[in-house]
Amino acid sequence: MMDLQFDFQSYVGRFRVWALTFRGSITLLSLVGLLFVPLSGNEYLTTVLVTAMIYTIFAASWDLLAGFAGQVSFGHAAFFGISGYFTAAFVKFAGAPWIFALIVGAGYAVLFSLIIGIPCLRLRGPYLALGTLAFSLILWNLFLSGTWLGGTEGISGLPSIGDIFGVFYIIAAFMVASLIIMRAIVDSRLGTILKAIRDDETCADASGINTTVYKLIAFMISGFFAGIAGALFVLHTTAVNPAVFQTLYSFYAIIMAAIGGLATIYGSVIGGFLFTVLSEFLRPLANASLLIFAIILIVIIRFAEHGIMNPFLERLQDLWDLIRRK
Amino acid sequence: MIEEILIYGTVQGALLALLALGFSLVYGVGGILNLSHGAFFLITAYVIYWTIPFVGFGIAAVIGLAAVVGIGAVTYLGLMKPLQESHIGIVLVTFALAFFFEQFVKFVGDPKTHYIVPFVPGTITFLGITFPAQFIALLVGAFILVTLVTLFINKSTIGKSIRAVSQDFEAAKLVGINTDMVLMTTVMISALLVGFAAVLYAPGNFIAPRIGWRYLLLAFSVTIFGGMGSIPGSIVGAFIMGYATSFTDFLIGPEFSVIIPIVVILVMLLVRPQGLLGKKELR
Amino acid sequence: MGLILEVKNLTKKFGGLTAVNDVNFEIERGEMLGLIGPNGAGKTTLFHVISGFEKPTSGTVFFDGVNITGKKPFQIVNMGMARTFQLVKSFHYLSLLDNVSVACLSPRGKEAFGASGIDEAASSILTSVGLVDKARLPPVILPHGDLRKLQIGKALGTNPEMLLLDEPFSGLVHEEKEGIAKLIRRLKDEGVTIFVTGHVLRELMTLVPRVIAMHHGRLIAEGSPQEVANNKVVLEAYLGRGEGFA
Repeated sequence: MMDLQFDFQSYVGRFRVWALTFRGSITLLSLVGLLFVPLSGNEYLTTVLVTAMIYTIFAASWDLLAGFAGQVSFGHAAFFGISGYFTAAFVKFAGAPWIFALIVGAGYAVLFSLIIGIPCLRLRGPYLALGTLAFSLILWNLFLSGTWLGGTEGISGLPSIGDIFGVFYIIAAFMVASLIIMRAIVDSRLGTILKAIRDDETCADASGINTTVYKLIAFMISGFFAGIAGALFVLHTTAVNPAVFQTLYSFYAIIMAAIGGLATIYGSVIGGFLFTVLSEFLRPLANASLLIFAIILIVIIRFAEHGIMNPFLERLQDLWDLIRRK
Repeated sequence: MIEEILIYGTVQGALLALLALGFSLVYGVGGILNLSHGAFFLITAYVIYWTIPFVGFGIAAVIGLAAVVGIGAVTYLGLMKPLQESHIGIVLVTFALAFFFEQFVKFVGDPKTHYIVPFVPGTITFLGITFPAQFIALLVGAFILVTLVTLFINKSTIGKSIRAVSQDFEAAKLVGINTDMVLMTTVMISALLVGFAAVLYAPGNFIAPRIGWRYLLLAFSVTIFGGMGSIPGSIVGAFIMGYATSFTDFLIGPEFSVIIPIVVILVMLLVRPQGLLGKKELR
Repeated sequence: MGLILEVKNLTKKFGGLTAVNDVNFEIERGEMLGLIGPNGAGKTTLFHVISGFEKPTSGTVFFDGVNITGKKPFQIVNMGMARTFQLVKSFHYLSLLDNVSVACLSPRGKEAFGASGIDEAASSILTSVGLVDKARLPPVILPHGDLRKLQIGKALGTNPEMLLLDEPFSGLVHEEKEGIAKLIRRLKDEGVTIFVTGHVLRELMTLVPRVIAMHHGRLIAEGSPQEVANNKVVLEAYLGRGEGFA
């Protein structure tokens, strides 16, 4: 549909320009810092960050659909879970190599994004949210009460795909690749059309755009990346059970994207990492941890309109500009 | 058998009506999807459970209702009103609030399931069917309350303001109605209704930290079925669903009746999003 | 030349209210037709039904000989009929350039400008409506008159054969109205059929050679602006409602 001309020179040039901007350098520095973490040998920290990276992909997939295409879904756990289950099934029962199972899992997530998307597309606003929620609830109940694919117990005992440090790099690669691809989509012509649909669907209609088809495309792309996240999650934890369909996970994705900043790619990273680190941080408080977590969530959502880090980041940006001018 | 189904269905319908009425009202008047609605049920039930040993049921109920109405007011002022520009913001923050109450109850109490003794003890036999006497309390209480609230909305001055705001928020502001007050009152009425549901239904039943979500789902489902923002819709929808659930419970099995609310939501959204009696345009 | 638009027995009811009542008229290709009527006459509803945003209760609409009754808006746009809205619509978080590009990215736009010529096409459209110096900015910074121009620019992005302009003059000051009028005349010269509404006849008087008038959903008059301005039924419709129109 879109011309994909690959002009290597200009990409290198543009990359260099970007790397020198505030956003670019922070991103690169963080990435480098991230890659050093496993080398410290700290298993706990590595595991926490692996979870953070998986959640980041998940949050970004939701943000793509909601922040960029304007379709707010409350049932994203459905794609996460479906992919998780099929990935696990393919590894455990078909003995497939994990990378193959992951592709299959994500593929099933895309299929379900169509199954869920097509009926839900005619719904607007809160009704779309509820429709997607209802679908995820049905899936949850189905897998909880059904006897297939392990029932309440789920599937467990998947072969590990490596030690935690190896897994870290694999997942980091997936995260970086996913974010780059999503960034490219959002900046492309397709992205412009999706943003137009988000801004004013009637107007997009009046501009000759077949909004239904494009909304479905957004659903599929979003489902795909949610599927990637789900597959990685299951491969990392070596098990899957119906809890993966919980509405709580759907809301985690929303919260992560929201606190990082909607309709940004970097926001999902900020939100994903902040959220994961925060919940880990509170864990030692045992009983009170979830309670405090809930309170913090309320406070964040209440006060963080455009992403909690934005004022902070803006100050840093000014500082950076100042330095570079010198 | 049929009498059993009818009696249980009526009780279920009464419960659903109390649950859905407030939820639907808050959405119809203020466009607010209050995901902490189920948590209001939860907290009322727990407050009653915690205070019964000290003051007996009657006062415990009053304390519980006062607590939930107060919580409703604070929720409106602190969380809903500041975020009214962002619909998703309200949804997220009320969800977080529901999550908070679940953890709160777990923390202050314990994560276990508990039983509240019915305040109308014993059973009654009517038409050859024996059922808990508490049911009568629920039916009578629900009837009185729903009638009162409906009368209030239709006849009182505040009720008129509420109806005005639900028809056109901006226009109501223009004619000098304090929409803020109206919304807060609506949220408080909603809390009162769901609080009463807890007062009348929780005794003789089990409570646990996670039950809030179930009641939220039920309120949602009936509201979608009957029509978001429609009072008669919520009541009619409540009873239809109540009897449907009862039928399924007795004739097929309770495992299936749990998914009824979800299926209803899905089917309604796909077939008739405005619900049975809802207004044609969706917010 | 041929007929580009044929409206036959078009009726639209909303429950008990009949907004469009058995309307019949035709537009020749390359023509400029005005539609006047007091507020509430049904002009916008008529536009909505013709452009696919509402389904008619009965009647048919033919565009370029093809029955478009009941087709979806984007389908009609891609057949060559574009429209603007009374309450200006735009993509708030996109630049003006992107606002127009989206229209150019429609199937019809891509066909006309080529997939690789989108930016260029959008740019030249912005130039033609006089907004190119603000190309990178979002619509929120535009004054009302410029927003109207943007809307027309967006419509042009779909390479239309016919433009439906819904009250393009309302709420504008004299210079802005002049600007819009000039733009419309130029489009007509380039071969675009124009169908424009207004509720103040004076604006349309010097713009269009033919006018139809609506009142309470019905067509009550047709003719040159002068003829319609002197038409008794029309006068009653306006004066009876206490509205000035000339």
